[in-house]
Amino acid sequence: MSIPHGRRIVITGMGAVSPFGIGAASLWQALREGRSGIAPLRHPDAGRLRVRVAAQVPADFDPAAHFDERTLPMLDRLSQFALLAAREAIAQSGLDFALNDLGRRTAVIVGSGIGGENSHDEQYRRLYADNATRVHPLSIIRVMMNAPASQISMAHGLRGPAFVASSACASTNHAVIQAAQMIRNGLADVAVTGGADACFSYGLLRAWEAMRVLADDTCRPFSANRRGLVLAEGAGMFVLESLEHAQARGATILAEYGGGGMSADASDIVAPDPVGAAAAMTQALADAGLEPQDIDYINAHGTATQANDISETRAIRLAFGTAADRLAVSSTKSMHGHAMGASGALELVATINALREGVVPPTANLDVVDPACDLDYVPNTARAIPVRAALSNSFAFGGLNAVLALKRAP
Amino acid sequence: MTDPINANEIQQEIFAIIAKQAKIDPAIVRPESTLKDLGVASLDAIEVIFDIEEQFDITFPDQGPNFDNDTVQGLVDAVLKALADKGNAA
Repeated sequence: MSIPHGRRIVITGMGAVSPFGIGAASLWQALREGRSGIAPLRHPDAGRLRVRVAAQVPADFDPAAHFDERTLPMLDRLSQFALLAAREAIAQSGLDFALNDLGRRTAVIVGSGIGGENSHDEQYRRLYADNATRVHPLSIIRVMMNAPASQISMAHGLRGPAFVASSACASTNHAVIQAAQMIRNGLADVAVTGGADACFSYGLLRAWEAMRVLADDTCRPFSANRRGLVLAEGAGMFVLESLEHAQARGATILAEYGGGGMSADASDIVAPDPVGAAAAMTQALADAGLEPQDIDYINAHGTATQANDISETRAIRLAFGTAADRLAVSSTKSMHGHAMGASGALELVATINALREGVVPPTANLDVVDPACDLDYVPNTARAIPVRAALSNSFAFGGLNAVLALKRAP
Repeated sequence: MTDPINANEIQQEIFAIIAKQAKIDPAIVRPESTLKDLGVASLDAIEVIFDIEEQFDITFPDQGPNFDNDTVQGLVDAVLKALADKGNAA
């Protein structure tokens, strides 16, 4: 393995808010146990919606327990998730941003596919349904796409480059690659990066119903009886820094960021193209200085739609050739659902822990073999295998692909 | 009081919706054609379903017709069934 360019980058902190509650540890524990966060939809309009199941942050989540009364009115649900995940990741990293003006050298790059959807829906409901003429004065502050990045930067005094990257379901991976590039190129020494989405608004649920890709029972990636995706919400945040920066301060390194690959299908707006996805995987390998046979695990995009699972299987075969048959591939969306722009973040928690513990999380609900999906998807039970390096795939509607390559901590 | 369901008229209306989406002459649409045969790709098929639901004020079940591979006749039958269910419920 050779490192093609720039500084080596490591991950020294992670945090999450997921259908398993607050904390990266509760998310990982559920995934390695093969436990599902999918349950009947909890929503004021559930009675008239056709959406039956969802993977939502637990009902006992209480924003007021985590944010003071001056901050809370500024925060859409996705910013609440983003801030909590960032708080956890930064605490784990042990970084002090006031020391030596490190905050000036720290970037905040957050992925979000949808933005402040709950606030949008709430305020439009006031206007259109209640015939109100005024909306909440902080509506703009809550719904602006950059809100989660701005909130994280303000909460921790991070004054380097900060913005939100948006590419639907690939948003997190695009954000993480961008953050890593900034450290490689010397624009920053540290980055807080990841993704957040909270999309359970009445309007958006209706839009998903009309798209006809939602499962009505559970999420069954790569299984012949799969019935579509299950919507989820949450956030995952990570602290990235250069290897020398981490080593100089004696930080605990969780994993090494090897590299990233990005591509656009430039074909259909929804139907995935295996060639585009394969190109992103191949580029991620090259960027990380890895060969196909160096990869032991792929955390798949694995949405459980008819189209994705077949196309992704073909893409992995295209990118890996004969090495595809010795890969462990799993879709943790079978348990944490599809958290839109945040899904790559929940999956990065899974991938980092697979590298650290040598345990590959399973694909839950894989009961019926689909001849068109012919890889080893680690059905239903986690597997202990040494994981030297791994990929995490995200492919978005609109044909936008972003793949991360991770290595065990040096 | 609703008019009795006129299956032939409904079939013609559905043919017209499909033909409009596929940008073809309604006369080309046959009951045994699939949407795919007629050049209606997956995303266009969702629009056809939406147009039909709007036209007849019905809602197809989520895991109902397989819109890519079922025949136009399958779609017509699904609409007739949905209309009959609606009539019974009224």
